[in-house]
Amino acid sequence: MILRLAFGSLLARALTVGMTVLAIALSVALFLGVEKVRTGAKSSFADTISGTDLIVGARSGSVQLLLYSVFRIGNATNNVTWESYRDIAAQPQVDWIVPISLGDSHRQFRVMGTTPAFFERYKYRQDRALEVATGAVMADLFDTVIGADVAATLGYAVGDPIVVAHGLASFTQHDDQPFRVSGILAKTGTPVDRTVIVSMEAIEAIHVDWQSGAKIPGRTTPVDAIRQMDLTPQAITAALVGVKSPLQVFALQRAINDYPEEPLLAILPGVALQELWQIVGIAETALTGVSAMVVVTALIGMMATIFSSLNERRREMAIFRAMGARPGTILGLLVLEAVLMAAIGALIGLCLLYIGLAIAQPVVDRAFGLWLPIDAPSLREFWVLLGVVCAGAIVSLVPALRAYRLSLADGMMVKS
Amino acid sequence: MKQILPLILITCAAPAIAQETRQMHAHEHGVGELNIAFDGPQIAIELHAPGADIVGFEYAAETADDRAAIDAAVATLARPLDLFVLPAAAECAVTQASAGLESEAHDDHDEAGHDDHDDHEHDAEHADEHAEEHHEDEAGHTEFHAEYLLTCANPGAITGIEFAYFDTFQNARELEVQMLTPAGAKGFEVERDAPTLDLRGMF
Repeated sequence: MILRLAFGSLLARALTVGMTVLAIALSVALFLGVEKVRTGAKSSFADTISGTDLIVGARSGSVQLLLYSVFRIGNATNNVTWESYRDIAAQPQVDWIVPISLGDSHRQFRVMGTTPAFFERYKYRQDRALEVATGAVMADLFDTVIGADVAATLGYAVGDPIVVAHGLASFTQHDDQPFRVSGILAKTGTPVDRTVIVSMEAIEAIHVDWQSGAKIPGRTTPVDAIRQMDLTPQAITAALVGVKSPLQVFALQRAINDYPEEPLLAILPGVALQELWQIVGIAETALTGVSAMVVVTALIGMMATIFSSLNERRREMAIFRAMGARPGTILGLLVLEAVLMAAIGALIGLCLLYIGLAIAQPVVDRAFGLWLPIDAPSLREFWVLLGVVCAGAIVSLVPALRAYRLSLADGMMVKS
Repeated sequence: MKQILPLILITCAAPAIAQETRQMHAHEHGVGELNIAFDGPQIAIELHAPGADIVGFEYAAETADDRAAIDAAVATLARPLDLFVLPAAAECAVTQASAGLESEAHDDHDEAGHDDHDDHEHDAEHADEHAEEHHEDEAGHTEFHAEYLLTCANPGAITGIEFAYFDTFQNARELEVQMLTPAGAKGFEVERDAPTLDLRGMF
């Protein structure tokens, strides 16, 4: 009975109620959307590298090693000598090892030297391998494979020449040994997108005529001669290591951290990513806070509408009272109306979220490499929705209590 | 020939000189390291804890009491399931367990440089010993190391770990946990105030 009344009353004021419901729906959609982006960003971040058991580099901090080896942010404190690399590769626990060598750049992008094994060993987003979108993995010494962002920003196609610059912000170019783009990788949403990948030997090759960081004037070794040279690197920047059994990871980590010949550091990428997220993650709390405030604003807006509707409905309330409705019934009616508005708003908000996700998912994935999973509402989302409905009820109590006190007297004394 | 002999001796000695490396591990009283790796039914656990956490002292055992304390600690450490309690439903059994006391001074390295230890609260106590070029065991910090291999009939039932470790060893304040599960690597800090680890959703 009272439910039918509440529904009828809401329908009678369809426009104002509709606006209130819309405000709640939008705020709920925003809040849930922010939650989705937040968890999506967090898991995308954690999925930047997977399948690698250990990252080995010069001894520094775990976050720093992760930053330069995976995110290409900052620089290594030291290199790892080739001898140490060979030693680690020879450890019985090691299943595979992929060296990486950083330090040169192309325009604003970092150049990374590695072995072809990188393409099969580097995994992201739970075991997804890198894919070559066009062209092929480098076959020649002077071939390069570029990430999707590099190709898109600089407009490169397969077959284009590339000149690698010495260092990171330097005007000296390795222009005597230009590279050729042999392949372009599909977008991954990882730092690989912003990387120019060349072979380990190529890094050595472009530095053949260089000594102590400067080019020796007037000396150019012909490319053919370089091809004949022994291009085994002297040092690498870091290495990705896969271990045969998870049970051996910690033993190998300890062996590398205790390696007496050279100060090395081995980190578990997952643990370091987590440490890094604790630094970055402050922003996520702020984001959640802001979107929660939007929901609160929408609910306060609802309270305001109920307050103003009380004025219009003074006579209605008085008639209810005259017909025998108790003050409690009036209170119940108003709260029920508010709960209905909040619930409908929350449900519409949820629908909006899924419609929005369906539209935005491929776009966001392509543009930012951020994967927003569309799955059934989680328990947490359910609690959020329930929270909104309860908050709606509590907020409506303020005008409802006013109506409770005034309904009879107020309505009967209308003079206008 | 006589002139060559010193040359040979120098050449032989050279590698020994070149190999002199100095390094010390970080050592923080109250904080131990725990590594846990899951692989199907097997769980490998490694514990490294400062001697101060386990027996309350880090000098070489001098009295019979000291030795008894160390022996008791090693015996306790050899029973991992009493320290790191797994749900009974997982039906875990210890396949291998080894525990021991290791002193930093036992390392082969030259220990003259103790620089990276300045942050240590107990340094003042040891200052006189540090002055010696080659100090004996009693100057170095000691660490208890333990390695375990568990086999669980029902690893899916591992929903968490209770750290009775903190009840057993009153001086331990914190364990830095690195965990390797099929879902990836995770890091945790388990503290005395909240001695549990929730592992739901990790498998």
